[in-house]
Amino acid sequence: MDYHRSTSVDEALPEPQGYGHASAATSPAPMEAAAFHAASERILRAINTVIDGKADAAKLALTVLLAQGHLLLEDVPGVGKTLLAKTLARTIDCSVSRIQFTPDLLPSDVTGVSIYNQASRTFEFRPGAVFANIVIGDEINRASAKTQSALLECMEEHQVTVDGKSYKLDEPFMVVATQNPIEMEGTYPLPEAQRDRFMARISMGYPDHDSELEMLETHQAVSPLTRVTAVVTADEVASMIAAVQQVYVSQSIKEYTVALGRATRESAMLRLGASPRSMLQLLRAAKATAALEGRDFVLPDDVVSVAEAVLAHRIILDRKAASTGETPQSVIRSILAKVPVGQEASPALTRAGRDRGRPDPAAHPVARPAGR
Amino acid sequence: MTLTPQRSTAPGRSGPDAGKPPVAAHGGAGRPKLAGVEPWAVGLAVTVGVAGAALGLNGVLRGWAWYPAVLTTVLAVAMTMAALRALRLRGVLVGAGGFVALALVLTFTFFRQHSIAGFIPSTDTVDQVQRYLRRAGETVLGETTPVAPNAGIVLLICAVLGLLVILIDALCVPLGMPATSGLGILAILVVPAMVKPQSVGWLGFTGAAIGYLMILACSHWFHPGSGTRTDTAPAPGQLKRATLTGAMALALTLLLQLVVPGFDQGTFPQGSRLNPWGTSSGLNPMISLGNSLRSPDGTGRITYATSAATAPYLRSVTVDSFDGDSWSPDDRDASRQAGTGRIDSGLDSTVAEQVQVVTAVDAGQFTSPYLPVPYAPEAVNGLTGRWSWDPATLSIKGVDVNSRNQQYVVTSAAPKLTPAVLALSSGPVRGIPDTFTRIPANVPQIVRQTADTVTAGSNTGYAKAMAIQTYLRSAEFRYSLQSPVQGGYDGNGLSVLADFLTQKSGYCIHFASAMAVMARLEGIPSRIAVGYAPGRITGATVSIPGQGALTEYAVDARDAHAWPELYFQGVGWVAFEPTPSRGVVPAYATEPAAPSGASTNENNDGLVPTDNPKATGAPAPAPLPLPVPGGESGSDAGYVQLLYGAGALLLVALLLASPALARGGIRRRRLKASGTGPGSAAPAWAELQDLATDYGVPPRSSESPRHFSGRLRGSAVLGETGGLDAPAHAAVASLTGDFERQQYGRPDAGSPAGSPAGSPPGSPAGSPTEDSPTGDSPADRIALVRETLRANASWWARLRAAWLPRSLLARWGGRASTPLHSVAAPAKTAGHGAAKSLSRIRDAVRGPRRG
Repeated sequence: MDYHRSTSVDEALPEPQGYGHASAATSPAPMEAAAFHAASERILRAINTVIDGKADAAKLALTVLLAQGHLLLEDVPGVGKTLLAKTLARTIDCSVSRIQFTPDLLPSDVTGVSIYNQASRTFEFRPGAVFANIVIGDEINRASAKTQSALLECMEEHQVTVDGKSYKLDEPFMVVATQNPIEMEGTYPLPEAQRDRFMARISMGYPDHDSELEMLETHQAVSPLTRVTAVVTADEVASMIAAVQQVYVSQSIKEYTVALGRATRESAMLRLGASPRSMLQLLRAAKATAALEGRDFVLPDDVVSVAEAVLAHRIILDRKAASTGETPQSVIRSILAKVPVGQEASPALTRAGRDRGRPDPAAHPVARPAGR
Repeated sequence: MTLTPQRSTAPGRSGPDAGKPPVAAHGGAGRPKLAGVEPWAVGLAVTVGVAGAALGLNGVLRGWAWYPAVLTTVLAVAMTMAALRALRLRGVLVGAGGFVALALVLTFTFFRQHSIAGFIPSTDTVDQVQRYLRRAGETVLGETTPVAPNAGIVLLICAVLGLLVILIDALCVPLGMPATSGLGILAILVVPAMVKPQSVGWLGFTGAAIGYLMILACSHWFHPGSGTRTDTAPAPGQLKRATLTGAMALALTLLLQLVVPGFDQGTFPQGSRLNPWGTSSGLNPMISLGNSLRSPDGTGRITYATSAATAPYLRSVTVDSFDGDSWSPDDRDASRQAGTGRIDSGLDSTVAEQVQVVTAVDAGQFTSPYLPVPYAPEAVNGLTGRWSWDPATLSIKGVDVNSRNQQYVVTSAAPKLTPAVLALSSGPVRGIPDTFTRIPANVPQIVRQTADTVTAGSNTGYAKAMAIQTYLRSAEFRYSLQSPVQGGYDGNGLSVLADFLTQKSGYCIHFASAMAVMARLEGIPSRIAVGYAPGRITGATVSIPGQGALTEYAVDARDAHAWPELYFQGVGWVAFEPTPSRGVVPAYATEPAAPSGASTNENNDGLVPTDNPKATGAPAPAPLPLPVPGGESGSDAGYVQLLYGAGALLLVALLLASPALARGGIRRRRLKASGTGPGSAAPAWAELQDLATDYGVPPRSSESPRHFSGRLRGSAVLGETGGLDAPAHAAVASLTGDFERQQYGRPDAGSPAGSPAGSPPGSPAGSPTEDSPTGDSPADRIALVRETLRANASWWARLRAAWLPRSLLARWGGRASTPLHSVAAPAKTAGHGAAKSLSRIRDAVRGPRRG
């Protein structure tokens, strides 16, 4: 951990410093495609041995990790939310901390606190639970709003500020929070601002018949979690993240993403559309998806595949739409079905490209990688 | 008084640099400073456009006396609207102001006596308007161009031009479509173009063009960039483009008029069928005659059965006054006598032998105030309504009815005429009204000369008449319906006559009037009879009590005819037939020496019906051939027709094949572009999409390439994934992969055939390149996919994909709807503007009421 940054007030935008390891020597090199593939396969296989029939959720969780986002797992009790979070954390050789959110949890429990050291006669900072690579926040909606918001800075800026001093968090850093949509009594539902900071929300859903049978089989004697060992190191994860950042995003994909965002804002069924930050996170998630698919460029399909998970928890339905039985997911699906995909969005350009036998304008605008 | 604003604004429009206009005097030359001038400049431009185009109406209306009224109206309306706009009023209010100004100025000009204070319309004015409009209607229907500028027609023209000013102004300013406003000006030009034989004329065209250019210049100056895409600075390529476009338009116009038939025949004979009033309903039969003859199909069919040996001419009216520019029948309403039971010409004939003929006529759809009867009627029975007859001309005219659906029996009697009888009649003419003998003023020299030359050496009236008829029927003269139109002397009148004698080509009107005028010059009383030449035998018979079964004949508009009637003392009015190839030359008027005197003309010998029961000796009723344009012979026409038919067939075939041809062209172009090199995947992908569309799997706009390809492969049109159609599936997959890489991949990733840098072997996505048939070009893959699609489709789908490809229809449909959209947007804006100003007016009205 490096504490050389004295102030954080100006750091409104977290992007420029993607990594906590500020020195150039520790900056991880992007992982080779083959190694990337092998590593991701290992992680997914390890998760799937523990959680049966939830390959999609596991993949999405890995996607969020590689896209440097945070994950919100929301479902009824007993479907394996915490198990997924713990498995993901275990497959990676990195520090993991777990916070069980309760109503009496204080912000300092999360971030850490400065304690007066009698011997040195100075205040010493004792890091809180958030100082870990993967932080599992269980039942996050049970803590008070004050405590929840203590997570805000950590999640967005990857740093903790206590007593005017900022402390960098380790990379990779990921918060996996779980919350229970029912049994809302005595809870503090996540405020909009905080919900927006989670890259994706996953509903686990019930396993299918065969998976459930298998689950009963494997989980009888001993928790399968104990058998899980780390399959990748934190450094490997960091270089995987670097590889994701190298994924190319063409102009038409950016336009498509923007069009999606605008469509949510203009939709009559939504009271609140997707924020610009969510667009950024959508694109990041799409890049991670593309990398997991073994591609070094993003397809519209990548954006579509993560759009629901990334956008659904950020938008707020109009009351009228809600009364007609619409859900955020269904609205997003209908928007996806309406918004033209990049290649068709500008017919004039496409036609010009066709006629002259030249590639689309998408092929020549921005040469530099769009990632950071 | 209306001129004042015009003068003050004229420099304002043209002199932004001079700073002359009062508004811009202290403001310099900046365009925003000239905003105050804009309404005036636009108003002036509209005025010039409309008034300039109205110049072309000279020739439709006679003289220039009508023009000041038109100019006043146009100026008043345009300047009122300009003034309202200068006062910063908007939209509907300006238009309403224009209407009010139009009503006021029309009232002031035409109904000063019948209005309040000289310019405010009253109920009296409305009555007068109705009277004027009726008059205008009569003028339109009954007179030939150029018509005399009576108040009715001038009022109508002024009103229409005023409305056009409002329309053009509305198009130009609030709707912001100055280019479209040319349509309004064009609407004015259409009138002279249709009516005048010489078309619009340079004056009207120049005026309209100047006005239109001024409108465009105004809009360009005051709203640069609103209607045009380029900047104000003209690019060098602009001139070249403009020249090219103009040259192409000119060439196309010149070529098209050769190809499209019918444009060389005056007032669009094809279009005349559209005339809702029919062809023969004019008050002046002289005018409608030419059009009737040129009408492509016979309308106004009249059938009649007669006891005469030969089919008689049906005469409806005569023209006897040859003064003025336009001849028309003189109704002589004062001397007309009511009742048709007994008609008496009052002329005593020395010819003892009278021939009495009974004719039953069914006028059918023929609509005219004059009744077609064989000459000379003694009694007409069976008519409905009130009719009157003129003792001088024996024309029968309805008092309150017309000839439509009339069925009547005419008894007519005429002296039996022979050349001998006529030759004897040499006495001076007595007891004939002056109108039949008066020599018209300013007879052209050529007419007088010709008459003298032709009749030189003839002593008696009959000999002179025969000489004139022989001269007109000689080979020098040609019967043609078209050449008068082309030569610009269609119609009647003395000047037309001079042209006719020079050109020696025309139709019955010209021949008849030539003979009538020349006869008068030689001292023989004459008049022109208008009616129908003998018709065709229908094959039916009609029974009339006391007469037995009579042969029925039929005539229609194509048989319309005019012929001269000359008066011989002691004999009466005698009809002649100077028109070659039309009608029947009466026995008494044939040359004694002529061997084939009975026949009407040589050309039609083959067309005389062989079943004519009275063909021997007596003059045969000659059915009329359809006038062939240019007078070519039958075989020539057949050849031309064949050519046209072949051309039409070819055109239809081309039209049917055009989608397939266009589709093929697109495909070839794409496959050519998809050869190699960067960007070659897009054309192939577009072709794949269109192929799929043709076979019923159109891409959706919200669909990614991969999704579309998956849907295509999943649908039935491409067959099973494995087995026989596997190569096609692989081809689709590889095309998709190539396109994805090109569309979304890193631009420097290299050729589509190369594996992407980051793609690991055996990736979970199943990268399409891996299982693609390597080494073949996109064209081969497309061909493979096409083959498979064809193989899997039903014959109907195959046929449709080949000849009526859906992808092409969608593409054309999209293009066709683009202009619609672009029109819809301004229309919507206009609608909103109108609604807004309406609500504003409503608020304004409501305000004081509340207060």
